[in-house]
Amino acid sequence: MRLATAAMLVATTVAACGGGQDDGAKASAPKAPATIPELTKDPLTLSFIWFDWPPAHALEAFANAEYKKERPNATIKVNTVPNANWHDAMFTQFAAHKTDFDIPILDSQHIGEAVTNGNILDITDFVKTNIDVKAYNPYLLAAYGQFPQAETGKRDENASLYGLPLLGDTWTMIYRKDLIGDKPPQTWDQMISVAEKCQKDHPGVSGLAFHQANGSDAAAVTYNTVNGVYGGNLWNAKTRKIDGVINDAAGQEAMDVLVNKMKPLTAKGSGNWFIDEVNAAVAQGKACIAFNWIAASGGLLDPKQSTLGTTREQILDKLGFATLPSQKTNLVPLGGMGMHVSAYSPKANQAEALNFMKWFERADIQKKWAAAGGVPSRTDALESPEFLNAGPFNQVYTDSVARMRDMWNVPEYARLVDIENTNVNAALNGAKKPKDALDDIAKEQQGVLDSGSRKGGGGL
Amino acid sequence: MSDPAPLTTDRPGQVASATPPARGRSRRLSDRGLAVAFISPALLLLLAMSVFPLLWALYLSFTDYSATRGGPAHFLWFENYTAILASAQVHLRALTTLIYVVGAVALQTVLGFTIAYLISRRTHGRGLLTTLFLVPMMLSPVVVGLFWRFMLDAQFGVINSMLGSLGLGQVEWLTRQRTALISLIVVDTWQWTPFIMLIALAGLTAVPKYLYEAASIDRASEWFRFRTITLPLVWPLLLIAVLFRAIEAFRLFDLVYILTSGGPGVSTETLSFHVYKVAFLGFNTGTASAYGILMVLVVIVLTQLYLRYLNKLKED
Repeated sequence: MRLATAAMLVATTVAACGGGQDDGAKASAPKAPATIPELTKDPLTLSFIWFDWPPAHALEAFANAEYKKERPNATIKVNTVPNANWHDAMFTQFAAHKTDFDIPILDSQHIGEAVTNGNILDITDFVKTNIDVKAYNPYLLAAYGQFPQAETGKRDENASLYGLPLLGDTWTMIYRKDLIGDKPPQTWDQMISVAEKCQKDHPGVSGLAFHQANGSDAAAVTYNTVNGVYGGNLWNAKTRKIDGVINDAAGQEAMDVLVNKMKPLTAKGSGNWFIDEVNAAVAQGKACIAFNWIAASGGLLDPKQSTLGTTREQILDKLGFATLPSQKTNLVPLGGMGMHVSAYSPKANQAEALNFMKWFERADIQKKWAAAGGVPSRTDALESPEFLNAGPFNQVYTDSVARMRDMWNVPEYARLVDIENTNVNAALNGAKKPKDALDDIAKEQQGVLDSGSRKGGGGL
Repeated sequence: MSDPAPLTTDRPGQVASATPPARGRSRRLSDRGLAVAFISPALLLLLAMSVFPLLWALYLSFTDYSATRGGPAHFLWFENYTAILASAQVHLRALTTLIYVVGAVALQTVLGFTIAYLISRRTHGRGLLTTLFLVPMMLSPVVVGLFWRFMLDAQFGVINSMLGSLGLGQVEWLTRQRTALISLIVVDTWQWTPFIMLIALAGLTAVPKYLYEAASIDRASEWFRFRTITLPLVWPLLLIAVLFRAIEAFRLFDLVYILTSGGPGVSTETLSFHVYKVAFLGFNTGTASAYGILMVLVVIVLTQLYLRYLNKLKED
C-alpha cells in the first residue's frame, strides 16, 4: 500500500512537472474574423463580466430590452463582482484558458495584459469592416481598444485594436451651489481656497471629498489627476522611464498639494474612501466640493438617498457639476471601459459578441444607450440632446473628452497601480512622508518595468 | 447454516482468528482488497485536492512560471526562495504578521481563559452563556469584517458615535497605522476568543473535583488552588488551543482584505495578503508558490518546536 501511494505521488509529481512545459500559450491575441460569421438561431446567452455598479445593471436592462428586438434568441447577462475583485475575476479565468463570460469589460489599462497573454481577440479587421471609426474622437477609440498604448490625445491608425468603447467616463467636480455659489472654481488653487473657506464657514461640512482608498485604483487616480493638472507626467512611454519622471519637480509639487493642501480639507477618517463613500458624503451634505466618476454620480440625484432635498429639482438647486479646474494644464483622468471578446469563448458566442458590438456602436443605439443612463463614445451621441439632457453631469463629460489622459496600459499595470495606490494612500494617511512616498513609487514602479530579465522573486 | 465468526474476542489481548470469506463474497476480494476499495475514493480525493496541488506548488516554486503569461516554466532552482528571504518587503510583512499573531493570540488566550474560568464557576445558566459566547465564532469572517468596518467608520460608525456621546474625540480606527493594526487584533479577538474559551472550558470541566475538595480540607486559598491545581491541569489543553489559533492567525487574509485592504499604505499587510498580491496582481505564480511553501515550512517548524515543548511539559 505504501509503495502504491508512493508510486501515485511520484506519478502526480511527474504529471505536474510535465504540465508546465507544454503549456505554451499564444504570445499574442488571436484574430477575429473581418466579417461576422453566421449567427446561431438557437437560444444563446451572451455573458459579460464587470464590477458591481449602476452602469452594469443599466447595461443588462438596456441590452435585454433593445438587443432582443433584433436577436430574440439572445439573452444578455452581465455578471458582476466587487470592484476590488474585478481584475482577479477576469484574469484568473483567462489563466485557466476557460471563461464563463464572452465579453470581458476591461479597464483601458488591462488591455496590455490581456493582449500579451492572448486572452482577447484582435478585432482590427472587424473594426475596419464594421465600425465607422471617424464617428469617434480618435483618443477614445484608442484608449478603449488600442495596444500598444496611444500617445495621449491621439490614435495610431496602424496599431491593432482589441476592443470598442462601452462606457465613457471621467471625473466631475461636484460642488454645493448653496455653500460656495453658482460659479465653480476655475483653477485648482482657487478650488482649494474656496473649499478652505467653505469648511471654515460651515462647521461639520468638510471642504473636500475625494478617493483615497488603497484598493482598486482609488488613491492612484487621485494623485495622477493632481499630477496632470500641475504639469507632471507619470512616465516616459518611449524610454519606459518612471524614476525621475513621476517624481520630478512637477510631481513633487502635485504630491505636496494633495497631501498638505487638499488632505487637511477632508473629513477625519476619510483615508479609505472610494466611490460610495464620496457619494455618501455629498448626499448627506457633508462636503463642499467632491470629485467622483461621472458614471457613478447618478445616485446623487435620488431623493431617497439624499438629505439635500426631497425632489431631484431641490437637490439640483444645491448641487452643481463642473469639469475639473485646470492649473498648469487642463488634463482630466480617463475613466470608463471597453468591451472585448474572450479568446476562450465558444465560436457561436464570439460571433454573437461581435454582432452585439457592431449593434452597440450604431449611432441610433448609442443615443438610446445615452438616454438609458449610459455614457456613449460616438461624437454624435455625445453631442445629442438624448445624452446632454439625460443628466446634469453629461455636459461635463462631453466638455472633458478632449482633455483626457490615461495611465499606463502595459502588462505590468496591476502591479504599477498597486504600488502607486499603497504609497499615495500611505502619504495621505500619515504613514509616509509625501516625498518618500513619491520616490518609493518611482523606484518600485521602475523596478517592475525593468524586471523582465530578473531571475527569481518576480512580483515581490 | 453456521453463525458468522466474531471478529473480536471477549478476552482482551487475544487477536481474532482469521475467518474465511463469507459465503457469497467473491474469492478475489480479500479483506485487504475490500479495505483498499473503501479507502481509495477518499485517498484519491485527498491526492487530487491536497497532495497534488501541494506537489504542483512545490514544483512551480522552483520555476519562473506565470499562470497568465503561459509558456514553458524555466527552472530557477532556489532563486525564488533566496529572493523572498532577502526581500525587505517580505521582512516588513513578516514583522506585521508577528505583531498581529502575538497580540491577537495573547489577548484571546487571556480573555478566553478568564471567561471560561468564570463560566465554570457558575452552576446555573452555564450552557446558555457558553452558547451566547460562541455566536461570533460561527459567523463568516467576511461578514464580521464588513459589519466591523461599518462600526469602526470614523464618520458614520457606531463606535465613534458612542465615543462622541461620552465627550471623547473621533478615532481614525482603520486609516492610521497603529489603530488599524489594533483594530484588526480587536476584531479577530472578538471573533475567536470563544474558541479559546471553549477549549479552556473543556479543560476546566475535566479537572477532578476531589482535588479541590482535598485542597478545601487543607484550607488552601482560592489563588493557591488556581495556581497549583487549575492552571497546571488546563495548561496543556490551553497550549493546544493557542497553537491552533496561532496557525490560523498566521495565515490571516479575509479580515485584512475587508477591513483595511492592507492599509494605510502596506502597514497592515500580512504575509498571506502579500502572497495574494504576488499571485494575482502580477501573476508571478512561481514566486507566489515559493512564498506559500515557505509559509507552510515556518508553520511546520514552529509547530514541531511547540509540540516538543508540550510533550516535555506532559512528561514533567
